[in-house]
Order: sequence, then structure tokens, then C-alpha cells
Amino acid sequence: MSSDTQTGGPLESVADGYNDRFGHLFGELNGPQFALLIGSLAVLLVAPVWTSLLGVGGLLRTLALASIWAILAMAWDIQSGYTGYISFGHAVLSGGAAYTTAMLVAHVNPDLPFLVTAPISVLAALVIGLVIAVPSLRLRGPYFSLVTFVAGLIFYQLTYAFSGYTGGELGQRVGRIEFELAGAQVTTFDPVTRYYVMLVPMLVIAVALLYVARSNVGMILIAIRENEEAVAAAGIDTTKFKIWSFVLSSIPMGVGGVLLAHFYGTVNPLNFLLVDRSIEIIAMAVVGGMSSILGPIGGAFLVIVLREEVLGVFGVTGRWVALWTVVLLVLVFARDGLFRKLWHVLGDWGRIDGGDDE
Amino acid sequence: MLGAIGSFLVTGAMISAIYALIAIGFTMIFGVGGVLNLAHGGLIMLGAYGFLVVTSSSTVEFLTIPPIAGLAVAIAVGAVASYGLYVGLVEYIEDNPVITFLATLVVALILAELAVVAFSSSPRGLVNLAPGSSGGSLGIRVTNIEIVAFVVSWVAIGLLWYYVTRTDEGRSILATSMSQRGAQLTGVDLPSIKARTWLIAGGLAGLAGVFIGTLQQTSPVMWLDPLALAFIIVVIGGIGSIKGSIVAAYLIGYLETLTVTLLGSGFRGTFSLVVLVIVLLVMPQGLYGREWVHE
Amino acid sequence: MTNNDTGIPVTRNERKATIDRRTFLGAAGAGAVATTLAGCLGDEDDLIRVGHIGPLQQDMGAGSENSAQLAVDQLNEEDGIMDREVELVSADSVGDPGEALTATEEMVEQDGVDVIIGTFVTEVMQGITDYVADVDVPFLITGSADPVTVTDTVAEDYDRFKNIFRSGPINSDLQAEGMVDYAEFLADEYGWTQFAHIADDAAWTEPFSDNLPGYLEDVGLDVVHEDRLAPGTDDWAPVNSDIDDADADAVFRFFAHNVGTGMLVNWRENEYEFAIEGIHVPGMSPEFWDDSEGAALYETTSQSGAAGAADITSETGPFVDAYAEEYGDDRPSLPMYMGFNTYDAVFVYKDAVERAGTVDYQADIDTIVDELLETDHEGAAGEIEFYGPDEDYPHDVRETTDDDGVITNFPVTQWQDDGEFECVYPEHLASADHITPEWL
Repeated sequence: MSSDTQTGGPLESVADGYNDRFGHLFGELNGPQFALLIGSLAVLLVAPVWTSLLGVGGLLRTLALASIWAILAMAWDIQSGYTGYISFGHAVLSGGAAYTTAMLVAHVNPDLPFLVTAPISVLAALVIGLVIAVPSLRLRGPYFSLVTFVAGLIFYQLTYAFSGYTGGELGQRVGRIEFELAGAQVTTFDPVTRYYVMLVPMLVIAVALLYVARSNVGMILIAIRENEEAVAAAGIDTTKFKIWSFVLSSIPMGVGGVLLAHFYGTVNPLNFLLVDRSIEIIAMAVVGGMSSILGPIGGAFLVIVLREEVLGVFGVTGRWVALWTVVLLVLVFARDGLFRKLWHVLGDWGRIDGGDDE
Repeated sequence: MLGAIGSFLVTGAMISAIYALIAIGFTMIFGVGGVLNLAHGGLIMLGAYGFLVVTSSSTVEFLTIPPIAGLAVAIAVGAVASYGLYVGLVEYIEDNPVITFLATLVVALILAELAVVAFSSSPRGLVNLAPGSSGGSLGIRVTNIEIVAFVVSWVAIGLLWYYVTRTDEGRSILATSMSQRGAQLTGVDLPSIKARTWLIAGGLAGLAGVFIGTLQQTSPVMWLDPLALAFIIVVIGGIGSIKGSIVAAYLIGYLETLTVTLLGSGFRGTFSLVVLVIVLLVMPQGLYGREWVHE
Repeated sequence: MTNNDTGIPVTRNERKATIDRRTFLGAAGAGAVATTLAGCLGDEDDLIRVGHIGPLQQDMGAGSENSAQLAVDQLNEEDGIMDREVELVSADSVGDPGEALTATEEMVEQDGVDVIIGTFVTEVMQGITDYVADVDVPFLITGSADPVTVTDTVAEDYDRFKNIFRSGPINSDLQAEGMVDYAEFLADEYGWTQFAHIADDAAWTEPFSDNLPGYLEDVGLDVVHEDRLAPGTDDWAPVNSDIDDADADAVFRFFAHNVGTGMLVNWRENEYEFAIEGIHVPGMSPEFWDDSEGAALYETTSQSGAAGAADITSETGPFVDAYAEEYGDDRPSLPMYMGFNTYDAVFVYKDAVERAGTVDYQADIDTIVDELLETDHEGAAGEIEFYGPDEDYPHDVRETTDDDGVITNFPVTQWQDDGEFECVYPEHLASADHITPEWL
């Protein structure tokens, strides 16, 4: 399998060029891994062209949705995947941001521009993240997971209990995104624009989180997962770093929540706060490969494309049975994630083993 | 007023017994294996649907047995499914608590979707085991089915208690949940103890399913509320403690009844969840954390 | 049809003019051109496509889909719509706004439907409102009754939402008025004066919680107990006990998210001395008798169409018979209220576009809307006319009233002995007398 002789070639030299300049920031790659990344990026960037040529315009919508979920899955990963403190209530963060946007529009001023509501909403996600993190991070293992799970249930029920503000089960309309960028009017009424409005933040967040994950902060988070006592014994304040991981997670969760609100045009408990939504985020990250940032992106695209485009053949309900069965199989037989497996195969194939943080 | 208080006491006692039944299986499994079985609610649902299929003429026409026999079927369905879940899945992944947590939850979601496929998403009622009511003369309304649920729950809990404290087989379960390593040193067959615990917990869940399915509803979403309740009760009682579960079940049962009486029904579930969070943060070991050690 | 081929190049330049269908299409670029062409191809094969959306795995949605299919089949046996064959395109909303939006976009962009009929729950309707308004496709609501459906849209911004109508049921503000008429009927019949009011703690019941107690007191009846129940309420003992403690003669309960089976069992076994009236959506299913193992006995619910138990118009009987013949062995064996409204909506649409002489909503939505407003249709659920643009509930179906001003197109049905579904109110439609439990 591994053939160290297989060096050279144009792919490797490009990869080497990347490794020299950016390898220390985002991890080193070999030729095949580099090709996978660049290839995927290219496919995503020109998706409007090929979906239209192939006559599958509807797929663009699915890819836009997958981009948003990729943000959520990565955001979950930098906290849960890296520190090992598994959150089962992350949808509260994205849902909190989405509801903030909706309530600003509904109760403050319907004409508030996107560029005002979005930052406030992300800030709200951050605040909610800290409110959950500060008390609950004292707990370990399943107890922490329980508290976050319960936080999800509580927020879900509160949307009903305070239906005067939240619209209860009906939720609230938020409309699509409209803002001016460099003199041009950007609106997500248009499927192509909508796609890029979802894709670009995803890519920016991916680069940022990859950078963080490969930095000292990322190393400490992983060390906390592996042996928290040892980290503490080394004189590092683990609580501070665990809270940092929540901060790092809450911000992209907020971004994802805002985008999802505008993607649907409405917020409601079902699409934003139901327990299932948190589980879907985790499922994506686990299917792709936890604690790798790139894995959850792959997981999100795989799960969303399967759900929206492929598994429909099993019928509306059968689709979910099939999807959850796939997730279960991955959990049992490939618990490190499908994309991590792929990554290692590519790694063995080329000459450098890694680019991954394990 | 006296009637109202009596009514409150009786209503609370009835519902609490079922809550205890829900929580005990959940806590036993955590006790012996350190596994949080999020499919517990799914097992409760299986028991209810199992009972429905064999007792109601509206599902499988030629299969209509008396409700009391249906109760046995429900217990069997829950037990077998739970045992199968352990030996078929959990045994291979229980070394990783997070994967187990997630996998059992995914199992619950699959069961729920399968229930929709098989029975549609419309909720069903169950054939009433014990029609009629008693106690009207005292100004306290209580239905016979609630009394049956109360009595049967306590009988089941009593039998369980006898089993784990008075029989060798049962004592090995208790010993394992005190200290897995200690039990192993004394030559206990750990895998078979775990499998047996899952079997028992599943049977209790199936039994609880019939009462919940009758008193509330039998539907594909009925797994979540009992699961949340089991969580709340078990955490408050102390994870792994049977006694703690019973005490906490009564605490929560009465707390909910009181919330409904004083605040109305809107905040019922939320209030319990808030109590849970407070308990988790203030005394994460619960009321009786690992109390078996002292017995 | 030529609208699309000429439409695209022209409207590309109008991109910033207004946010409407043309902006949407014009800005859509290559992808949208492809999908629009697909829609155009749909037009060229001369079919008229009726889009239907509802929760198909629930009885309500399945009954609605069957009814839509029945209407389409009946049209095709005659002359179709405008002498063109009609095809039904049905999508599953799964009761989920996100799923519904996906399904709707597909119906419009890939399948090229000419009209959308359906939506059972208001959150789904709300989820697709903006999109439907932007593409201008005629949208006839047949399930959700919340008044905000029109008051937050058509009444707020007529020009944008003018393609949205509700052909049934009457909205819940009007339903609350109908409920008072019914309460007075019960007061006359049994001398009941004390009523309790409980409802799902959900937005759809607000028109009832806000209005009904006041209305009841206005006509001299007492409201002795009010409560809102969290969705998923499962312990019914205290709920019934509270109603009983308040000495209510009857409770009006409004359940769609909560399922009243547990309440009915507890009520029956305890022989509580109050009647259970109001609206119970799960109880409207013809399968509810079996589903509840007979616990449904004596409960009533209001529902348009009266489950086919009453001959509301001359159309009701034939529709119910045709449904029973085609789908009587399926679940649900009767159309349910949304089925009645969906069936009617197909014909309302047919009549309107035939008067308009066009189904091309992209070019002629104003004409189609004008003709829809002219609707005067004798449907299976009752006479259908719409409120005008300047009235309180623009584009909403009108209530029908008898000589005494009593609302008649919101009848009440009751589960009676041996699982018979009977219409018990209004009296001129009743198929049986309202009955009370023998313990009352």
C-alpha cells in the first residue's frame, strides 16, 4: 500500500509549494491529499455551472444547505471533538442566533438591515454559549453531555412557553438576506447568489478553524481530551481553554444559525431547536471524522446530499430510517469517520503520513 | 379542600410509581456497565406497540388476546429487544461512552421512524386493562387502571429488589454496579451479568410502555418524554441507584403535579428540567450517588 | 406558451426594479434558466399541473391528497381545465416548514405546477409564504385556519401576497364565533351555563383563548376555568380534576398538538360530569375510533365538511360517495376536513382560470386573482366566496350564516355508539341528536 518511492510528479511539487508556505499553519499534505482538497474546492466553487449543465439545478439548493450544516458541524467539532466534552445541545447556539434575528425583525424593527441583525445574533450565540459553558464545564463525561442535552430540551420548551415573543410552534418569518456589497445589491432570492452567500462563510470559517486547530490552542484542547489532569499538572488552566473552545464554537454556530434562518426564511422550533437537530450535527461530525475540522465538512455534505437527493427512494420516512442506519453503521464499524479513513488511505498512498492531527 | 389535597396526594402517587418503573431500568444499566442507554424510551415504545398489536383487533385482526396476556407480551418484547440491543450492538461499542450515547440515541430515532412506517404517525390508545374507577365517594378520583399501574409497578419493583438482594444471580448484578473490578475479581462473568441486566431493564421498560400507552398515548414520539423523565429522575436520585430512582421519581411526580396545580400545565416539563440542571450543578452525585456501596 | 422564452432576456435587465418573480428568475442565471425551461416544457405538453402539499403520512394529508386526486380524475373525465388534461403533483410537507419549502421549490421549478393547494399546519404555510409570494404561483390554503395566514400577508402587503387565498376552513377568529353559537345551542338543549376552556399552548389556539371566553360571557354564559397545556401533555388526571373542581358543565378543548385520547380515557373511567366539546384535530380522523380503542365515544369536534355525515350542499354526498368508492379501504376511509377543502379548491381554481382564460400566472396573475375573487362556488364543504382585498380577512373564505346569523359552514361532529360519526350541529344539517354520556 504505502510506496515511499512514489515521489515527484507535478502534483507533489505543487503540494510541496503549499507545504513550504502554509504547511506550518494548516498542516502538511501529500500530493493525493492536496489534490482531494483542491479538487473538492474547485467542484464547490463552480457548482452553479455544472449543476446547470447537468440539469440538476435543485442540487445547488442542497449544496447551499450542506454548506450551512458544514459550518455547524465544524463548530461543534472545535468544541466537542477537540476537547472530548461532547455537547448534545449545540442546536441551542445556532437556534439562539436564528431566534435573535427573528425577534429583532419581529419586535424591534422589520427594516433592520442584515448587516445589523447578523452580528447581534452571533453575539447572542456567544452569550448563550458562555451561559451554558461556564457552569456545565465543571462536569465531566456523560454528565456534561446530559446538561447540554437538557439545555436543548429547555430551550425547545421555552419557545412554546413564551410563544408571545417567539411565535410558538409557528415561529417567525425573517425573510431572505439583502445587503449591499461593493455597490452591488446582494439578495438570496437568487439561487446562485444564495449558494455563494452560504458557501463563502463556510470556507472562511473552515480556514480559520483549521488554523486554530493546528495552533497551540488546538494542541491544548486535544491534550485536555487525552488527559486533562496532565494538562492541569503542567500549570495550564484547563477551564480557561475549555471555555475558549466554547467561544470558538459559539461564533461559527451563530453564523450558521443566522444563515440557516435566512435560508429557510423562517425560524421555528422544529427546524432549529428540536433535539434531532443537535443529533444531526453530531452525526455529521462523527460520520466525517471527529476532531479534524475537514472531516465534519465532508460529513455534512455527505449526510445532506444523502438525505435530500439519494435516500428519497426509500420514501419520506424510510429516508430517515436509512440515514440513521448509515450513521449507526459508521459508528460501529468506522468510528473514526469515513473521511478520516479516506484521508489516511490517501496519506499512505503518497509519501507524508498525516496532515491530520492524530 | 381536603378533597383537593387528597386528590393531589393520590394523583401524585399514581404517576410517580410509573415514573419509578421508567427510571429503574435506565439506572440499572448505567450501574453495571456505565452505559447511558438512550434507546430506553424506544424500548418503552416497543412495549406499548407490542401490546397494541396483540390485544387490539384494529391492528392484526386474527391476533387478539386478553389484555392481561398482552402485558406479558409487552414485557417479553421489551426484554428481548433490550437484550438484542446489548448483544447485537452495545457490547461492541461500550468501551467508548460517547459512541454508545450517540448510537443508542440513533437506535431510538430509527425505532421511532419504523413505528411511523408500521403504524402511521397517528397516536393510538390501548385496550384498557382495568376499566372503571374507584374512590369517588371520598372525593378522590382515581381510575382502576391507575391503581393497577401503581400496584403492578410496585410489585415489579419489589420483585426486582428481592432479586438483586436475596438471590445469588441478582446479587452479582448489585456487586457489579458497586465495583466492576471487584466483582470481576470474585469471578463474576461480567458479559453475562450485563446481558441479564439489559434483559431485566427491557422487561421493565416494556411493562411501563403499556401503562404509558394506556394512560397517555401510544405514538412514535412517545419515546422522548419518558427518556427525559428517566434522565431527570436518575440524575436527581444518583446515577446507578435503585433506591435513589424511587425517591426521585416520587419527588418529580409530586413536583410536576404541584406545578400543574399551582402554575398551570404550560410550565410542567420545563420546571422539572430546571430542577435537574440545578441538581446537576449543585450536587452532581444526586441524592444517593452510589449508595449501594453502603449496603 | 411563450412567456418564458421571451420573459428571461427582457427581465434580466429589470433585476433591481422590484423583488418579485421576475427578479428571482432574472437574477437566477444559468441554473434558473434551466429550471424555468423545464417548467416551460411542462406547459408545452399541454398539461395543467395542480400542485398539492400536505403531511402525507398523516391521515389529514393523505385524505387531502386522495381528494385532490379524485377532483383531478373527475376533471379529466370531463373536459379537464380549459380543455387541457390535468395532472396532480403531490408533495409531502412532513409537517416540517424546511421540508415543505424544498418540496415547494421543486414543484414550482422542476415540475412547473400552475397552482399550489394545501398546507395543513400554519408553520408550514408560513414557511413557504415568502417563496410562494415571490414566484406568484396561485396558492389556495385548505388546511391551516390561523387568521395570521392572511392578516400577516395579504392584508399587510397586498401587492406582494395577492396570490394567496384560503378556500377553507373559515379562520379561527370566525371559528371562535361559531363556537359561541354552538355553546348557546348546548345551553338551550341542556341548560349548561358553566364552561371550561383549555387549549394547546400554541399559537394556533390564540384566537380561541383571546376571544372565546369574552364571547361566551357576552351571551351570558360563564367561563369557570381556563388553562393552556404544553404540547405533549401526558398526565391528564390533574387536567380533568381541575375542570371538575370548577363545576364546569362542559369543556371546550382545542387540541391539535396534544392528543386527547388520554384525557378521554381518564374522563370516561372516572365518569366526570362534564361534556367534552371544541376542536380535536386527531379526533377528526375516521380512524380515531379504532385508534383510541373506542375512547372517542361522546367527544365532539367542529370540522368543515362534517366528515361527510351531513349533506351540506348537493355536492357533499356525491363527493363522499366517490371518495368512499375509491379510497374507502385506505387510511383514512373518509376525506377529513382538509380533503373537503382541497377537493373544493381544485374546482375553485378551475372555474377561476377558465373565466380568466389563462393559467399563466407569470404573466397574468392579476387576472387570475381577480377571477378567484369572483368565486361563488357550491363546494362539498359549503358555499365558497372570498373576502375582498379591503376587508378584514382579505382572500379568506367567507363564513356562511343562516337567517339568525348563526355560522353554518363550521359544523360539529360527534362520535356516537359503535363508532358512528354523526353531525350534531347546526340543527338543519344534523344527522343525529347531540348525546351525552349516560353518567351525566
